[in-house]
Parts: sequence; structure tokens; C-alpha cells
Amino acid sequence: MAPARAAGRAGAAAALALLWLLVCAPRNAGSRLLTVADLFDRVIRHSGRIHSLSTALYAELEKHFPPRDNELGKPARKCHTSGMLTPNGKEYAQKIPREELTHLILKLLQAWKEPLSHFNQHIEHHQELPDDSLSKAKQISNMVHELKTGVEKVTEKMQSMGIISNSLNGMASSEATGLSISNEANMMSDSDFIHCFRRDSNKVQSYLKILKCRIMPESSC
Amino acid sequence: MKQKLTSSVQITLLLAVAAVGLTGHSHPGKPKIIRCRSLEKETFSCWWKPGSDGGLPTSYTLFYSKDSEEDIYECPDYQTSGPNSCYFDKNHTTPWTTYNITVMAMNEIGSNRSDPQYVDVTSIVQPDAPVNFSLEKQTSTSMKYLWAKWSPPPLSDVSSNSHVYHYELRLKPEEKEEWETISVGVQTQYKLIGLQAGVKYVVQVRCRLDLGEWSEWSSEKHIQIPNGESLPEKPTIIKCRSPEKETFTCWWKPGADGGHPTNHTLLYTKEGEEQVYECPDYRTAGPNSCYFNKKYTSFWTIYNITVKATNEMGSKVSDPHYVDVTYIVQPDPPVNVTLELKKSINRKPYLVLTWSPPPLADVRSGWLTLEYELRLKPEEGEEWETIFVGQQTQYRMFSLNPGKKYIIQIHCKPDHHGSWSEWSSEKYIQIPTDFRVKDMVVWIIVGVLSSLICLIMSWTMVLKGYRMIAFILPPVPGPKIKGIDTHLLETGKSEELLSALGCHGFPPTSDCEELLIEYLEVEDSEDQQLMSSHGNGHPSKNAKMILKETDSDSGRGSCDSPSLLSEKCRESHALPSTLQRQDLRDIQENKRGKRSWETQCIASEQKILLFNNESTKSSTWPAAQLPNNQPPVFAYHSTVDAPKITLGTTNVNIAPVLVGNEEKHQSQYPITETVYDGMEKQREMENLHSKTDQTTVQVKQSRPNDKSPFLNPKLMDYVEVHKVRQDEEPAVVLKHKENSGKTEKYTVPGTSKEYTKVSTVVDHNILVLMPDSRTQHTSVSQEPAMETSWNIQQSQAEKNMSYCLTVPSECKREASGSEYMDPSSFMPSFK
Repeated sequence: MAPARAAGRAGAAAALALLWLLVCAPRNAGSRLLTVADLFDRVIRHSGRIHSLSTALYAELEKHFPPRDNELGKPARKCHTSGMLTPNGKEYAQKIPREELTHLILKLLQAWKEPLSHFNQHIEHHQELPDDSLSKAKQISNMVHELKTGVEKVTEKMQSMGIISNSLNGMASSEATGLSISNEANMMSDSDFIHCFRRDSNKVQSYLKILKCRIMPESSC
Repeated sequence: MKQKLTSSVQITLLLAVAAVGLTGHSHPGKPKIIRCRSLEKETFSCWWKPGSDGGLPTSYTLFYSKDSEEDIYECPDYQTSGPNSCYFDKNHTTPWTTYNITVMAMNEIGSNRSDPQYVDVTSIVQPDAPVNFSLEKQTSTSMKYLWAKWSPPPLSDVSSNSHVYHYELRLKPEEKEEWETISVGVQTQYKLIGLQAGVKYVVQVRCRLDLGEWSEWSSEKHIQIPNGESLPEKPTIIKCRSPEKETFTCWWKPGADGGHPTNHTLLYTKEGEEQVYECPDYRTAGPNSCYFNKKYTSFWTIYNITVKATNEMGSKVSDPHYVDVTYIVQPDPPVNVTLELKKSINRKPYLVLTWSPPPLADVRSGWLTLEYELRLKPEEGEEWETIFVGQQTQYRMFSLNPGKKYIIQIHCKPDHHGSWSEWSSEKYIQIPTDFRVKDMVVWIIVGVLSSLICLIMSWTMVLKGYRMIAFILPPVPGPKIKGIDTHLLETGKSEELLSALGCHGFPPTSDCEELLIEYLEVEDSEDQQLMSSHGNGHPSKNAKMILKETDSDSGRGSCDSPSLLSEKCRESHALPSTLQRQDLRDIQENKRGKRSWETQCIASEQKILLFNNESTKSSTWPAAQLPNNQPPVFAYHSTVDAPKITLGTTNVNIAPVLVGNEEKHQSQYPITETVYDGMEKQREMENLHSKTDQTTVQVKQSRPNDKSPFLNPKLMDYVEVHKVRQDEEPAVVLKHKENSGKTEKYTVPGTSKEYTKVSTVVDHNILVLMPDSRTQHTSVSQEPAMETSWNIQQSQAEKNMSYCLTVPSECKREASGSEYMDPSSFMPSFK
């Protein structure tokens, strides 16, 4: 069972990578001269779309599975990424080194890749959910992949231009930590899950914006 | 009493009649008795409402009668119960009696009576409301009650203050609708018990006598029953808001304090933490609020916030409020909103809006990204038009209605989350009236009118046809030449045709030339002999003078003078008869002189050649000087085959004077353009083309020469061609402008030849007349003439080339040995 699942995952990942290539490869091919600012704008817009989608999906899930507590913030809610130390305010986000912030973004995205795939498979069993919600979930999962690829591209570019140091490479190898916490994600309710994801997508977007404006203060910041 | 009344009524009636007659005032309206009421059944009062006063001071009188009596009484007391009332005191009040009461209004004009009111005193009893109503709180630990106290209603008659009233209380909690009524009895105080603690009550009292109606309720008294437990009420958290996504503030509404001073504390826990914190700052954001500065503000964390109200009795905690700061961002409205009207290239005004993000928002860091939305409406409009702008901080509006005043507001919102700010303050902008609209209307009207005029004109043109055209554009008459070449017409070469009609070759730029053409008329008659008239002797003594003055008074110059033109016109009209006579004489002379035209041709051709050398001497030049010393001009006339054409040059100015002298002065000066027999027509045409072309070119070239001092004085100005009507002999009279009295004339004995073409006037000196090819003759003078011209042509081939700008190919052909003599080629020969 487990190998089959892994294979399925790999297949899905491959398909997504292919999709990413199809969608973005021609653009990349024709846009060697894309500036870092352009790339940042793209990933920021992308993360914004992800956030909007997750907000919509969260509202739909809340409608179909009313939370047991009728309040927004249930104390029981605990996101699997809440263990990660992330800056929780503007000033912290501005103080943290660029490399680290970049790494945090990638880490956050990485931490959601697997849980989102699981969530997609899981949510398909909900007959009562409208197709729209399912497709949203699928779209979110794809877009997170794309976003991660995009952020990696920006990172590479920044590294190649010397904007950030290459120390990130060492950090990126510790992605395995994402897997360990992803198990916690399976314990959450669907709406909690999306709630957490929505929050992290907002984090990612905010960090990207901060990062962009730190690196290029002149470009529409 | 009755008599008095009737008499007074009569008087008032009389007065009324008089007044109405004089002023138009009227008698008073009908008064109405509103109510009668007894406060204590011993006295009573009646009130009435006056009707209209008819515009005059009106007095009211109340009359009453009692049912048992017939007497009518007047009101005993108008004062006590106030205006428009009557008070019946004890003496005038009888129980168990029905009063019949009427009120009469009177003014100068007349009177009016109310309807009678029947009053039974016992049935109209209603006391006033009790007074001095008060409530008193009595609080003990065990029980709470209220003392309500009041006084009976006061009476005007103090002496009769011995009535017994029954009282009634009513009360209710302030927010409720239903009253609870309590019958009190005759006492004037009451103890209210069983009231709910913490509730505010409203209490009223009223009274009545043992009979009659209840009084009105007294004024309301409000009282708060203190809360026995004294626990504060639960506070409510109203909202939390972050204005800049860095700090946030929460506000709450306190509940009732329970009669004790109450403290409010805000407590919060953060997601994932057990520890309870208290609000770090109660003051910054004002009362009942808590401000979380940057240090205490975490994002992507849910705050669980509660407010606890505490007094000595205990505390109560509000419902928890969960806050994720990311989603409570509500910025301040944008600032520095400016509206600027600009004009685009097409002068249509557009509006440029610019604004700044709220000062608190740090948009440069990227932490907060704002999106803007603006709304506008015409000042008088109801509905706002809302436009989402996005992240930019300026906007251009193009489709605004001119002449309207707009109200514009802008608000902003963080992207993806948070809520819209308040709208910025209203900005007004007056869009100026678009003047272009008016302009457009004016232009449209102008355009329509002018097109209408054009339409009408063209319509009349079509209807009136020639007349109109002739009026506006006088016709350019070609020479009337009989027997126009039908071949030419058939072949339809328009240029040839035109040139045949004589209008093409003329220098087209000057009116003068047109005018000149007008006077060229060539007629033929069958039996004309070739005749030429000329002066026998040509005095050449004046030749030098001629040469000097030729240039100074060129034909063109005089042509351009309008006075001269008109003069010429007149004279030209006068001319034909004169010329006729001249010609007749000339013919005779010719005969006598035994000169044939042919010989003349030869002679003239030779003269041309000679002219090159001899013109300065003027030995052979036939020129005559007139007493008025007009400079002579050479009439330069070339005929192709014109045995019947008489050419003459006449100075217009002196033409009439000349008549007598003509015989002497006239000289023949024919220049013959030789045409060979059997000349192919096409070649002729080619030549013609080239000539005409040359003509135009030369005209251009010669223009500047008019004033040029280098102009060869020998150049002849061909100024005017007079048409000569002559029955006997057709003649073309060429007039020399500068010819000082010299008239040169050819009278060409006509054969049956028709002279069909005036091919061109070359260099405005030479008139080229083309013969009909069918009727060409070989003139005697052809050969020598040809020789001459050929020589000249050869020598001038290069020059001709340069003249032929428009049709170089033709020119070349001609230059390379055309058999025609090119008239233009004469010109250089004169130099």
C-alpha cells in the first residue's frame, strides 16, 4: 500500500512538474531577461491567488462542516506548521536575514506540499462537498507546487546575482523536517487544515513582499 | 335687556352695511364652543374657539339661558378661566339644570352666532391632575420600595377646597409598553413595593371626584430602582482594529455598573499559549479600550480576548473575542486627495485624481499593500458610481459630464484581507462646460448653411447654365474660325483642338492675354486677294529711339495696367471701322505697289534675317514714329500659309489718330512660318506640340525678362491682336503696343483657304496660325524662308532644347531637323 501511495505521489508530482513546465517553460524560455523584481511580482501575485483561493475554500468548508465551537478561533486548533519559528510582525520580518527569510518561505511551502496532496485525496471522499470546492483544493495544491518552484527560481537568480548568499543550499537540505510535521496535519479537521494553510499562505505572501521590498526598495514599494 | 340687545343689533347691522360698502371687510366667522367643564361640580367654565374676525376687531359675547327660564343672560366672568372662556362661579351655577349657551362674535360690520351648547353641570365634572407628584427611594438591605406623594389639584376658588378626590397610580418599567395601574383611594401618598431591582420605572397619578371623569395623568416621573446584587453587567467587546497592520486596538462597551464603581480589565491569551496576559495599554486609545503596540502584536496568531468588569460585589466576564490581527486591518482613509482638471489634446477635459496612502500605513516596506476604490456622483445625484482602482495612487477619469459638479471620495483596503477604510472627506470638482459642443453646433450650422448656398448656386448654375457661367467667368473667345478642322475634332486630340481654337497656346497666366485674344477674329471671304498694305516709305530715323524704349514700355507692362486695358477695349471697339478703311486703302496700295504677298513674305523673311544685324540701324525695319513718341514695337507675325490673311499691327492708343498716317507709316512685316506642301499632318501636330510647349516655357522665361535690362531691345512684344471685321477682306490686325504709331498690316488676298488654327503664341511675341492642312499652299516665299529658319533653327537647336521642358521628346525631334520653322527659334535670332 505504502509503495503504491508513494508512486502515486511521485506521479502526481511529476504531473505537476510537467504542468509547471508547460505553463511556465515557454515564458521562461522567452524571458531570460526577467528581472528579479518581475519574478518577485509573479510569485507575490501567485501567493495572493493561493490565499484568495484558500479563503474561499475555507468559507465553503465552514458552511458544510460547521465547527463544533461556534467561534472563529477554537483553542484546539493547532497548525502543524505552528512549531516553525516564523516572524510574526513587520519588524521581525525586516530584521531576519534575507537568506533566512527566503529559506523560511521555502520551508513553509515545502511543509504544505505533502499535506495538501493528502488533503486532496481525502477530500474527494466527501460526497457532500461541491465540485467547486474539490477543484479549488486541487488548484491550491498545484499552485503551491508552482509557487515553490517560482520561489526557488527567484532564489537561484538572487544567488546568482549575489543578492543573497549561497548559504541557503545547506538549509534547503533540511526539508525533511517538513515531512515529520506533516503527519500532524492529518489529525486536523478539514476546515482547520485549510484555516492553517490560509494563514501560512498569507505568511508566505507577506514574507515575499517584505523580501522584495528589502531587496528592491525602489520597485513599487 | 331685549330692547337694548335689538337696538344694538340694529346699530351693528347698520354699521356692518356701511363698512361692507366701504371697505370689503366682512362680519366675523362663526365661533364654536369647544367644551364646558366643571372641576368640582360647583362652578364650571366654557371655552370657545373664535371664528375668523373678518379683518376687524371682534368682540365675543356669551349668552346663556337656563332650561327653566326664558331669560337670556350674558357671561358673568370672562376673565377667570383665561381668554375665550367664561367662568360661572358658584352663584351662577345651578346643579341639575341644563344651560343653553351660545357665543356671539361681533365686529363693526356684523355678528355671528355659534351653535347652541347644552350643558348639564354634573355631567361635565373633571378635575385637574394632581400636582406636586414625587417619588422617593427607600432602600434597605431587606426591601426596596418607593414612596409616591402628590397633592390634590388646585382650585381657583380657594374657599371650596374641601372636595374628596380618588387617586390612581400607574407605573411600568421604562422599556415596556404596558402600564400597571394601582388604585390608591383618597390618600395622597402610596408605597410602591415589589419593584425589580436595577429597572427604571415610570410612574404617574390621576384623580377624580365621586362623580364625573378622571383627570388627566400627571406628568411622568422616572426612577431607577437600584440593583440589589450590585454585580456589574457583562461588558461587550465591540471591535478590534489594526490601522496599519502593526498594532491594534480593541474597544468594549461596559454594562451597568450595579451601583458600585466598576473596573474593567482586558485579558487575552494567544493561540498555542496557556498564559493569560492583561492589556498592556488602557490609555492610548481612550476610555474602554486597549491598545496593543508592536511589541504585543503578533500576526498569524489568534488572540482570545475577554473583558472583565469588576466591582466590590464581584466581576463579570464578557464573551471571548477571537482576533487574528491579519484580518482586522482597516486602514485610515487615504489622504492628500487632489483633483485636477486637465485638457487632453482634443481639448476634452479629464480629471486626474491623486492621493496618498494613510500616513500610518507603511506601504514601502511591503508589509502592507493597499488597494483603492473611489466613488463619485454628481452633486445632486443619488447613486454613487464606484471604481476599483487597484494599487495605484492616481486615476484619470475621462467620461465626466461637463457642467456638472461631482463629489468624489476614496477609500482603501489591504489586499486579500482586512476591510475597507472609511471614505475620505468629500472632494468637489466642477467640470467646466465643454465649449467645444457649442463650437461644434456653430460649425455645423455654418457648414450646413454654406453647403446649402453651394447647392443653390450649383442648382442655379445648372438651370441658368451659360448665362451664369458667362456672368461669373466671362467666356474666353477663341478666334472664330470657320471651317474648324473636322479631322481634328474626329481624332479628338483635345490639345490640338484646344490649340486650334486658339486658347491653349496663349500664355494662360495673364488676363491681359485673354483680353487680347478676344480681339482676334479671323474671317475669310472667298474672293480675297492677297494684299498687304504697308507704308511706302519707312522712315527709319527714329529707329534708335525705338530700340531704346522698347523695353521700357513693353506690351506686357501696359497690359497690366487696368486703365490702359479699358482704354484699349474702347479703342478696339472703335477700331474695326477704321481698320476697314485702312485695309481698303491698303489693298489699293498693295495693288499699286505691286507687291504680292509672296514677295512680301520673302522680303520680310529676309528682313528678319537682316534684323539680326540691322535692327540697331533700323534701316530695313519698317517702323514709324508717331508724334507722341511711343516706342515702336515689332509686331511679330507668322503665318503658315495665309494668303488671305491680313495682318496688321496697330498701336491701340493711336489707332484712330493713325488713320491718316497709316499709309505712310504702315509697314509690312510678315514673318512667315513656312510650311511645306504635303506636309504630314502628324508632323505638323508634333511641331505644334513642341511649339506650344515652348510657348509656355518661354513665357515663363520671358516674364522676368520683362523688366530685365538685358532684354534685347529688339525683342518684340506682341501685345494685342485686334479683330478686324471686314466684309471684303479677312484680316488679322496685330497691334503693337509699343509701336509708335506704326501699324503693320497684312492684307492677304484670300483664296478659298481657310485658316483654321491659331496654333500658339510663342514667347508672347509670335502668333502662330496654322493653316488647314487640306488647303495648304506652297507659298513662293517658302524656300527662302525655310532656309532662313532652318539656319536659325540649327543655330538655336540647343536653346530650343532648353526651352522644351515639358515635352522634351518633341523638342528633340524638332531640333533634329524638323521642317517647320519653330517660331521660338526666331527669338534667339533677334538677339
